[in-house]
Amino acid sequence: MDSAATASDGSDGSRSELELPTEIGFIDMPFRPSWNIEGFATGWQSQIGRDVKIETTLFQPEKVELSSFAIKIPNQKIHTLSFDFPESPQWQIASQAKPPASNPANPNEPGKGAAGSIPQRSSAPSSITRIRPPKDLVKLEDRLYYVLQPPLETLVSNAKLEFAFQPFPYQFEGIAFLFSRETAILADEMGLGKTMQAITTVRMLLLANQLRTVLLVCPKPLVTNWVREFRLWAPEIPVAVIEGDSAKRQWMWNQPGLPVRIANYELLMRDREQLQGNLHFDLVILDEAQRIKNRNSTTSEIARGISRCRSWALTGTPIENTPEDLVSIFEFLQPGYLRDGMSLKQMGQATRDHILRRTKDKVLTEMPPKLFRDAELDLTPEQLATYKAAEDEGVIQLSDMGQELTIQHVFELVLRLKQICNFDPVTGASCKLERLEADLEEVAASGQKAIVFSQWVQSLDRMSDVLKRYNPLSYHGRIPSDKRDPILKEFKENPKRHVLLMSYGAGAVGLNLQFCRYVFLFDRWWNPAIEDQAINRAHRLGAAGSVTVTRMLVAGTIEERIHKVLEEKRELFNALFAEAGTPPSLGLNQGDIFGLFNLKVPKAKKAA
Amino acid sequence: MSTTKGNEHSILGFLTVRQHPELGYLGGFLLVNSLARPLEFHCTLPVKPTRAQSILYGPTLVDFLCGEQIARTLVSKAKLQPVIVFTDSTAVLSLRNVSEIPVCCVSSKNSEAASKDLMLPPSQQAGVSVGELSGHKILVDGAHRSDWDFVVKRSQELLQQVDLLEPFTRIVEALQEAHPASKAA
Repeated sequence: MDSAATASDGSDGSRSELELPTEIGFIDMPFRPSWNIEGFATGWQSQIGRDVKIETTLFQPEKVELSSFAIKIPNQKIHTLSFDFPESPQWQIASQAKPPASNPANPNEPGKGAAGSIPQRSSAPSSITRIRPPKDLVKLEDRLYYVLQPPLETLVSNAKLEFAFQPFPYQFEGIAFLFSRETAILADEMGLGKTMQAITTVRMLLLANQLRTVLLVCPKPLVTNWVREFRLWAPEIPVAVIEGDSAKRQWMWNQPGLPVRIANYELLMRDREQLQGNLHFDLVILDEAQRIKNRNSTTSEIARGISRCRSWALTGTPIENTPEDLVSIFEFLQPGYLRDGMSLKQMGQATRDHILRRTKDKVLTEMPPKLFRDAELDLTPEQLATYKAAEDEGVIQLSDMGQELTIQHVFELVLRLKQICNFDPVTGASCKLERLEADLEEVAASGQKAIVFSQWVQSLDRMSDVLKRYNPLSYHGRIPSDKRDPILKEFKENPKRHVLLMSYGAGAVGLNLQFCRYVFLFDRWWNPAIEDQAINRAHRLGAAGSVTVTRMLVAGTIEERIHKVLEEKRELFNALFAEAGTPPSLGLNQGDIFGLFNLKVPKAKKAA
Repeated sequence: MSTTKGNEHSILGFLTVRQHPELGYLGGFLLVNSLARPLEFHCTLPVKPTRAQSILYGPTLVDFLCGEQIARTLVSKAKLQPVIVFTDSTAVLSLRNVSEIPVCCVSSKNSEAASKDLMLPPSQQAGVSVGELSGHKILVDGAHRSDWDFVVKRSQELLQQVDLLEPFTRIVEALQEAHPASKAA
């Protein structure tokens, strides 16, 4: 419309628009401005005075028919998976205490007072340990059974399971590990409570009706220890020790309703027929499972032949000498799972989910320290003379043997020299005993107790004579089994008994002597793992304070050379768990023993 | 000794719905006895809302999907009937609109700690705070405040040996077991 107005008068439209920018707006304004225009209106002025001509058109809409449509949202189909879980009727062993009378909160006071008046859960567990399914468990339902179990602490607390002592969190971890596994090695360092963890897991599995028959096999000297520990940690579980004459044993093997049977390794051989007959166990536990490290031994063969569902091995030293030791233990657990010749890395990966190993350094930060003291001694003049003569003579003899030389010949010389380091065979002089006497004086004066380890009973007997004033007790292979426990009891309870003289063979495993603060290694064992076991008789859970370990070592002798080799081996011990390095052997092997005298292994022997 | 499985008066239900960024919604329902041991477990396959649901339910979609679809389906699958259903998601409170079983939401800062990949869904439903139980804030659906009365009446008997949040950790782990794709890479 505005363009029509400016174009009709022929004037400069652009200028007009500039001067009267609101001109076009007047047309739509509801009033007309009352301007006084003098003279004849021309141009745009004349337009103001005229009525605007508005043309309109009437539309007559046709009648529109509205239509609608419905959108139906179909019910969404939700697919579900469902699982039922079996529940043991026996899960709770203790009679349930009745809950205290209800003391309801006032529902009219939301958020206030409720917390105080509603009885709260007695106490939340301080740690939470979840039971995890083993990685090789495939069926989802089976995996969920473990995943959906409450934390172990809740299970224990709700089932009113009482413990002699509150387990450490790492022990709960160990129980959770065993609970869900059909094949497992609990390889905790000595003294961390493998026994307690195994017993508690057995107890829980029995209560959950997942086990009915358990066979525990251990070295003979440890049978009474296991019985005692069962009484302590699972007093409600009947335990039967397989012993006595053949008829009695047969009766015990076949006696129904015995949840736990304990047998020793030696007995397995005698009752081989029974074990390979119709007997079946839900669980077989091998304690000190390194006993089956030689898979060709009869013991190993019989253990592997026992019919069972679950197999556990307990050992602080799953590898005593070579990684093949572990392969042998797995032949019991899961035949064929490991092979000789597997690289250490492969072995470590394959066994990761089957082995649980913790060391005291890692889990018991609050445990008293273990202090090592290497007592480097010099031979007495008498010992030195004898030693020199024996060594020179021996080495010459060995060198002269040429191809006839065997490891036994070298070994005999090593033993002979080691014995001289302990005592001069002629005069009985001993630099070690002199030092021991001096140290024991301090031990006895402070009211403490000490264990002295040697590999020879003869050496222990010699010490016993000289150390009479400390009232020593002896514990070794020549002491009958039935007299061993009373000796330990006497040592523990009689404050005048300051020294226990032990052989590595009899005292290295399973005994709890944590009241001792001092350990003396009078001579060195061939394998660092055995030495560790011996030391850990004293340095274990419940140790009253720091444990001082004195390792006696005669400078410039065979002992020093063995010590160096063993130290190197010790560093290799954890290689499997660290998945690094390849330890050829952890104890002394043939090459090591020949090397002690700078002898070379004859070629024929190498091939063998 | 009788089984606690037979004692349906002490069965507790724990139900959660979690949201996975790619899979969608996953629901899990755990029934436990008074000792917190599992009796039944039900879980859904991943659920994704349809386009039509998203448009039509708008901001109420999550509550509808979690409470009235997923939770309802899970509860209907249970062979045993729990005396109460606890949830850790307010989105599930709308279950109460379609179920006779009391529903309580246990609220805690740490309730999502179990998994970063399975998050609690964002809900429009705030719930009504009615009190505290074992240190946890309890919420109920606004139209069903009486559910709190029920909890108060039965707590002594039912909740002495059960940690109200712990079962949700189990459910989330079970969901991850059942749906391995929901685990973080």
